[in-house]
Amino acid sequence: MGGKSREMLISLDSLRDKNLMQLKKLNAALFPIHYNDKYYSDALASADFTKLAYFSDICVGAIACKLEKKEGGSVRVYIMTLGVLAPYRNVGIGTKLLTHVLELCAKQNIGEIYLHVQTNNEDAINFYKKFGFEITETIHNYYTNITSPDCYVVTKFISCSPTKK
Amino acid sequence: MGVPLPPKEANLFKLIVKSYETKQYKKGIKAADSILKKFPNHGETLSMKGLTLNCMDRKAEAYELVRLGLKNDLKSHVCWHVYGLLYRSDRDYREAIKCYRNALRIDPENIEILRDLSLLQAQTRDLAGFVETRQQLLTLKANHRLNWIGFAVSHHLNSNGAKAIDILEAYEGTLEDDYPPDNERIEHGEMLLYKISLMEECGLLERAVEELHRKESKIVDKLAYKEQQVSLLVKLGRFEEGEKLYKVLLSMNPDNYRYYEGLQRCLELYKENGQYSPDESDQLEAVYKSLARQYNRSSAVKRIPLDFLHGDKFRVAAENYIRPLLTKGVPSLFSDLSSLYEFPAKADILEQLIIELENSIKTSGRFPESSEKELPSTLMWTLFYLAQHYDRRGQYDTALKKIDEAIEHTPTVIDLYSVKSRILKHAGDLSASAALADEARCLDLADRYVNSDCVKRMLQADQVSLAEKTALLFTKDGDQQNTLYDMQCMWYELASGESYFRQGDLGRALKKFLAVEKHYSDITEDQFDFHSYCLRKMTLRTYVQMLKFQDRLHSNSYFRKAATGAIRCYLKLYDAPLKSTAEEEDEISKLPPSQKKKLRQKQRKADLRAKKEAEEKNEEPTTSGVSKSGKRQVKPVDPDPHGEKLLQVEDPLVEATKFLKLLQKHSPDVLETHLLSFEVNMRKNKILLALQAVKHLVRLDTDNPDTHRCLIQFFYKVGSMPAPVTDSEKLIWNVLDAEREIFSQLHDKSLIDANKVFFEKHKDSLMHRAAAAEMLHVLEPSKKAEATKLIEDSTKDSCTIGAPGTVRKLKLKECIIVHKLLADVLYDNDAASRWKVRCAEYFPYSTYFEGHLSSVAPSSAYQQTKKLLENGTANGNVEKLEALKI
Repeated sequence: MGGKSREMLISLDSLRDKNLMQLKKLNAALFPIHYNDKYYSDALASADFTKLAYFSDICVGAIACKLEKKEGGSVRVYIMTLGVLAPYRNVGIGTKLLTHVLELCAKQNIGEIYLHVQTNNEDAINFYKKFGFEITETIHNYYTNITSPDCYVVTKFISCSPTKK
Repeated sequence: MGVPLPPKEANLFKLIVKSYETKQYKKGIKAADSILKKFPNHGETLSMKGLTLNCMDRKAEAYELVRLGLKNDLKSHVCWHVYGLLYRSDRDYREAIKCYRNALRIDPENIEILRDLSLLQAQTRDLAGFVETRQQLLTLKANHRLNWIGFAVSHHLNSNGAKAIDILEAYEGTLEDDYPPDNERIEHGEMLLYKISLMEECGLLERAVEELHRKESKIVDKLAYKEQQVSLLVKLGRFEEGEKLYKVLLSMNPDNYRYYEGLQRCLELYKENGQYSPDESDQLEAVYKSLARQYNRSSAVKRIPLDFLHGDKFRVAAENYIRPLLTKGVPSLFSDLSSLYEFPAKADILEQLIIELENSIKTSGRFPESSEKELPSTLMWTLFYLAQHYDRRGQYDTALKKIDEAIEHTPTVIDLYSVKSRILKHAGDLSASAALADEARCLDLADRYVNSDCVKRMLQADQVSLAEKTALLFTKDGDQQNTLYDMQCMWYELASGESYFRQGDLGRALKKFLAVEKHYSDITEDQFDFHSYCLRKMTLRTYVQMLKFQDRLHSNSYFRKAATGAIRCYLKLYDAPLKSTAEEEDEISKLPPSQKKKLRQKQRKADLRAKKEAEEKNEEPTTSGVSKSGKRQVKPVDPDPHGEKLLQVEDPLVEATKFLKLLQKHSPDVLETHLLSFEVNMRKNKILLALQAVKHLVRLDTDNPDTHRCLIQFFYKVGSMPAPVTDSEKLIWNVLDAEREIFSQLHDKSLIDANKVFFEKHKDSLMHRAAAAEMLHVLEPSKKAEATKLIEDSTKDSCTIGAPGTVRKLKLKECIIVHKLLADVLYDNDAASRWKVRCAEYFPYSTYFEGHLSSVAPSSAYQQTKKLLENGTANGNVEKLEALKI
């Protein structure tokens, strides 16, 4: 199958309490961290900002975001996790998930989206840079119990479109 | 009839009848009461008031009034009719028919009563009576279509198809040429199709074909027309025409297996047993190749050749069939192919084939000799297939390895967990199986199927209350138990009953089994409405089919399971009766006074609690149970939720016999029916009935171990009976003497010798050995050691063969039965524990034998992952974090 038709096999679906376990299974396979209930309730509360990605009807990846209120009442998006199961990488699933969230930000006039990433995770950093993210801060010893515990804060500022609907 | 009412009251009476028909019951009662004020003894009014009350759930008053009404006016057909209707509403059809007959004696031409009577006769299959009533109705009202049709159907049911055809043709003779009008075309077409199917049934094939052809324009259902036509052509041996027609049908639906079968018949290439000569299968191959070109979207056309091809041809066809389905991800692929596993050669080929695909994908990402790169999911589906393959072949170790690999690859696919659950069940670890099924369930809480699958596994693992809670997740507003009962959820009730039975809770088990029995009688009742409905709607072919289905209803496997379960409960109850309350009192009285007081207090508290709970439940529906129609649905609380009252039967064997009779009537060719009959009748000391059971067993399966067991036990018992004294006893003895000679097994042999012969003949089968050993123990109790040895020696040859890669010879279920035999019948604890150790090795996942890989063993994988999960650490091995794995 050619690359194009593979992309056709990708679809996104919302997170609901009925399929929450899918995200849990993904996280258990992808990340060495056990996420607590707060993580999942934030993800559910973010509504369309959290999505599961399906490849030919199999759940293989997810982006989980949290909506944060800044001082002054504006909202920014924090990407808690973004991951795709190893066998299903490099077919554009991550791109599709991130693009979805970026487009949603633009639609809702959200000006800031950010995340944490390990300083040695070059693939990740390059991936986000492609989408216009930049390193805005370095936090030392952000992670505990993991080698290379430092991380960057990676942020994208989206210029709010002045057009009024 | 009684004194006629004056005009005012006569009008009021009409109002009662009208109110009853329009369900305005309160209005009816009011009118009745105002008549009764002046004429308190007016029979018909009393009757109608009673009938109205019956619809308002006031049964007792209803019967009282209706009977009083009848007493006051014995000569009124209305009173008799009402009495019949009352009985009918309580499903007492026999009494209802009697009442109708009395009513007809007074008013022989009352069409309404005749019609009601005919419905009951159809329901109770009083076919001769049905014909008679239908004839009367037709004579009385010959211009009514319904009466012609009803008369014809009655003759058909009464096995007089030819007469039914005549009646239908006579009816057609009364019609105008341009019949039917547009709004009755479908009904008329159905009637014609029914008539033609009758001709087919009567063997009037030529006539049927002609009639079909003549009436083509009047038959609306074109598909049924073609299917009927082709069926006739095949029966007439007009294969060329049949072939053409089957091809037309296939172009309409190329996935209908019956059309392919029919086509093969027309080509004279069809065999019931599927065994084709090489020449025939070559011909078939050619046929299907050309069909596949025509119907390239059909999956049946590709699947069917796998059944008749062999060797290399099979391999090629299988590979072509399987590859695209693995790419597409079709979870049902294995069950689609599972029938091929009955042929070990095909299973071997499939194994090689899929392993090659697996290796090729793992090394190159492609299928062999393919340029296309496979999707990442293809590997997972291939592993998924392999796991089921090895499960089917009894290689549970490899199966689990494969399924774990698949889960590791893609941990979000629900089917993987369901299959792992099934493998663990087959391997003997029921609680791990239930846990896995629960994991599958959690992955999609909105999927009823995985929920039900999980409930089933939980019941198999005897986790009944957990299973019940899980099942209720999918019932309407979680209204306990009753909903599952109202939904006639029989698989659940059976599995739950069987679990209670295993746990020795006979009351609850019986409760479930009897519930299933009740559903079946409800299904029988449910046909009642169709007797009038189908005649009106002219769905005659399906109507008659439905009636035939109803006639066989109780041979259905769910009913059989329920009846078998109930009989086993009653047998157990008979063997170990409950203590009566008097005995309990007696025991209590022996206790010291302080304890007695405590016990009494405890009892009183428990009673109070139960009462309170029942009251609360009773109140609930009145507040919340207001249904949409505004009516209150007060559901009566089950007075016996645990089935305790069911256990207090006077004679369990009498109850068992009721079910036994149904089994004997509806499942006479099932071995188990007669095993149960043997068990029941031996306990009742009904020697001749037990003999009859043994004879049936021998007829069905002479070599069956249970047949042997019953045969030996029976004649052993006969041999130990005291010499006959009375004439009837002597008669029985004569019968037994004569019959004994008829059994070839016992001819000229002692029972001991017969047992030996049986053993020698079936040495290679564990279950036969076990039966012989058990009988040896019965016949010669002193030879217990020898009996044990017969069983233990069985492992010498078969156990060692069970090396990896070969199909297992011993079955887990059988080994468990043998263990129970050693421990509970032969009372040889040493042998039992030796057996257990061996089986634990052979079935490492079995919780029963406490195998080292089962969930009861502390070092098992199941316990390990459980610990991991409890500690909250994830088991993924990931290198990167926060990350993106794209």
